[in-house]
Order: sequence, then structure tokens, then C-alpha cells
Amino acid sequence: MEGRIVASGLTKVFGEVKAVDDLSFTVEPGSVTGFLGPNGAGKTTTLRMILGLATPTSGTGTISGVAYAHLPVPGRTVGAVLEATSFHPGRSARNHLRVFCAAAGLPDKRADEVLEWVGLTQAARYAVHGFSLGMRQRLALATALLGNPRVLLLDEPANGLDPEGIAWLRGLLRHFADVDGRTVLISSHVLSEVEQTVDRVVIIARGRFIYEGKLADLEGASGGVVVRTPTPDQFATAVASLNARITPRADGSLAVVGATPEAVGRAAWEAHVELHELRAGSSSLEETFLRLTAEPAAPPGPTP
Amino acid sequence: MINLVRAEWRKVITVKLGWGMLLGALALAALGVVAQIASNGNGGNGSPVLPLSAAATQRSIAASAGSAYLFSIVVGIILITTEFRHFTSRPTFLIEPRRGRVIVAKVIVAAVVGIIYGLACAALTAAIMEPWFAALGVSIGWTSNGVLLSMLGDIIVIAIFAVVGIGVGVLVRNQIAAVIGALIYLFVLEPLIDIIPVVKNAYPYLPGAAGAAITGASRGNLAHLTAVQGGFVLLGWGLLFALCGWILTIRRDVP
Repeated sequence: MEGRIVASGLTKVFGEVKAVDDLSFTVEPGSVTGFLGPNGAGKTTTLRMILGLATPTSGTGTISGVAYAHLPVPGRTVGAVLEATSFHPGRSARNHLRVFCAAAGLPDKRADEVLEWVGLTQAARYAVHGFSLGMRQRLALATALLGNPRVLLLDEPANGLDPEGIAWLRGLLRHFADVDGRTVLISSHVLSEVEQTVDRVVIIARGRFIYEGKLADLEGASGGVVVRTPTPDQFATAVASLNARITPRADGSLAVVGATPEAVGRAAWEAHVELHELRAGSSSLEETFLRLTAEPAAPPGPTP
Repeated sequence: MINLVRAEWRKVITVKLGWGMLLGALALAALGVVAQIASNGNGGNGSPVLPLSAAATQRSIAASAGSAYLFSIVVGIILITTEFRHFTSRPTFLIEPRRGRVIVAKVIVAAVVGIIYGLACAALTAAIMEPWFAALGVSIGWTSNGVLLSMLGDIIVIAIFAVVGIGVGVLVRNQIAAVIGALIYLFVLEPLIDIIPVVKNAYPYLPGAAGAAITGASRGNLAHLTAVQGGFVLLGWGLLFALCGWILTIRRDVP
């Protein structure tokens, strides 16, 4: 399918180390997918293999069904950022973009267009060595957007952006996916950083596949203290003093976030509320993420 | 392909390095020419020195501008290693994943830069020689003494060494190591090879010696190749290094 990214059994071995180990996942157009994992999980290596910069030891990565190098006009199909450091420090932002305009056969005015998109028009004439990390992120994004690509792969794009910048990036990426139907894949080692931007996640750790699916499903798998009661209203009154957030779960039980199982149990007992189940769940999405990626033999999460 | 050449050309002209190295090349060429004329003029310590009017002297003076190849090989090395150092190799090879074509574009641009360096150095040499010789009342045999041919040799040598630099840069990748390695080779290793028995027979075929053969500059103990032979040998080195760069760039992962 046009714009779909498919990793199939991707493996990369550096000497004795398996940086990426039999990794398979799919990224669909029209969605923003988070590519998550701790530092050193193999995210960048995976992206580099999909982008044809590194040759897989085995397995394949395809975009729109073909290897990156076989895309008809890769510069106008795929935009990618691999760390925001790919600039010559002495070259101005505009000249940096014009170099790649020439390479991709794009008109020079395209450089000024993308500079405006990312809010760097004022800095266009200045050499990159004076740029902050946030400005470099914006320029890297501008480089990726030069060819008006329908597929975007961004490695840690929020790194170095201030909260305003992150909000701006979120809006831009959501627009690309929701309005334009483009494919957007962004990597991060901090789930909370992309939590509000992505609708799907692919999670890896130590080069291995951990979880792939909707963020909402991952959220459903967590949920603080899990409680089952025939009288939810009375239960809510009983634990009101705990200031915990109560949300109904898909299976009819309740998720209580912000309180310990002991506190919830005591409050229910004191108010004579009947409980059929009381157990600890993960207290947050971030914790679920950490649990999934930290345990050496983490079981694969639910797949949609 | 023309797009890639344009992109590589822009990379050269949008940073200061190329201009700075051009100034360096001009300074080195001028120094060589001035030193040669000055030392030939006074004869120096009673050693038998050919007069300035001799064809060999005039050719030798013109040839000393060829020493600017030291700058052109460094420029070639930097053109490619800068990509790895600042990771501009990534957007470069993302836009053109057929990496061999990028290397071909780089080699073309390196050769063009080398030719420009060579032309500038030759022009400067002529600009120094002409009034100086005129003031001394010595006529220059531009064509009859082969001075122009020697300058053409300078240009060819400077251009080919820029291409060699691309190959060296791909091989070594680390900018500092590649530049230092190339200079150590040219200044230390190659002259050493010239004095080691047996191995020294290979000396005339080494890049530095072949370059000297083209311009007619004095270098080494053994008899030089002829200028034309030297030209083919150095061109061979240029092609070999370019080919190495091409193959390695295709085979290795992009940093």
C-alpha cells in the first residue's frame, strides 16, 4: 500500500552484538505512530535500515512495498530526520536547504517555503553553528519537508524543543496524518513526550519487538488499582477522600489511579462497600511502558 | 546527475573552506616561485646554477606552482570527510540512495575545484614571473622553453590530487586522520621509499613522484618518468582512488 512502512524480520548485527533482532512491524498511512524504546534499544539502527543507510544483516524494510533505494524519487516520497545534527556548521540555513533543493531537483524557492513553515525565516541567513538545539530540530524538519514527502520518519524530533515547540510539532504532525493522510513515524525514548501526539505505538527494547498497537489499548492494559464492585456509586463515595481518579474499564471493572490498593481496600471496608476484586495495576502509561521495556523477558502485549 | 553535481558544487561554495584553501594554495605556489627565482638569480654559494634564461630553469620555476597539490588533496579529503564528520552524508544519501552517483558527482566537483586552483596558481605564477623577468631583462620562452606546458602540468597535477583526496577521504573517513595521513605519506613515507633499496624502484610510479614528473619539478633520486608517462600514472592513481571510494561508499553503511 502507498505510504505504508513495513519492517519484516529486520536484524542488524554489529560484531557480537545484535543491535536489532528479528524486528517486524507495520506503520500505516494516516496515523502518527510512535516508535518507542529506551536509549540503545535499536530505534535509530532500525530507521537507518528502513532508509537504506544501513544494510540489514537479514530481513527487509520497505516503504510503499519497495526498498528505499528502489523508490522512484525517494527525496520527494520520504522525508527523514536522523538526529538534528546533519548540518555543516559554517553553512547558512538557507544554503543548507538549497544544497538539497539542487540534489532533489527542486526550485530554490522551496527552501524559503519550508523555512517559513518551521519558523526559521529570520534565521535563514545565519550559519548553523549559532543555532540552538531547538532551531536545529526545526531545520532538520525543514530538510525532511523539502520534497513534500508523503512519508515522514523522524528520530527524536521533540528532543531540544521547548514546550511551545513540542505543541507546534504536535499540531504539524497531526495535520500531516489527519488532514493529508501522510505516514508519520516518530521515535522517542520518553513515552510522555509523544503520548499526546501518537495514535499507535511500536515498542522495542534491546533490539526486540515488545508491543505494537493502538496507544489506547496500551492505556487499557494499565490503570492503577483495579476494582470490581456491584455498587460503583457507593464505591466512588467511599474513596472520594482519597482524591483518586476513577475510570470504568472495558471489562466492567474500575481503574483507580492515584491511590494504593491498601488505601482503596481500607476505604471500601470502612464504608461497607462490597468488592469482588481488588488488585494493583500499573499506575500510568509511562509505568506500563517502563515495565514493558525493562523486564528482560517481557511478554508481548496485546495486539489489535 | 547534473542535479547532484550542482548540489555538490553548492556545498563547496557555501562554506569558507574552499576559499581559504585557495588562498593557501596561492600562497604556497607564490612562495615556491619567488624562492626559485630569487635563488637562481644570485647563483647561491658558488654552486653551478643555470641562468634564469635557461629553458630548464624557467620550466622548473613554473613547475614549483604545482606544489599547491598539497592543498588540493586536502580539499578533496575535506569535501568528503566533512559529510561524515557533520553527518550531512545522511540527507545526501537519503535524497540520492544510489550512492555511487553521489561519489561520481563529488569526483567531478573535486576535479573542477582542482582545475580552478590550478588555473589560479598558474595565473599567479605568470603574474610573478612576467614583470620580474622583464625587470631583469630576461625573456620568458612561454612556448619555446615549455613554460606553458609546465603550467598545464601544474593544473593537471593539482586537479588529479583533488580527486585522489576524495578516495582517501572515503577510505579513512576521519577528517583529521585522513589529512594528516595524506601529508605524512607525501612528505615522509614517499621520500623514505625513495631511499630504501629495492622498494625504491617503485618510487617513480608513486603519486607524488608521478606528479613531479608531470610538472618537471625536482623530486627524488631516481630518474623521473617522462611528463606523459607521469600523467598516465597519476591519472591511474586518481581513477584507482575514485574507484575505491565508489566501491566502499556503496558497500559500507552510511555513518
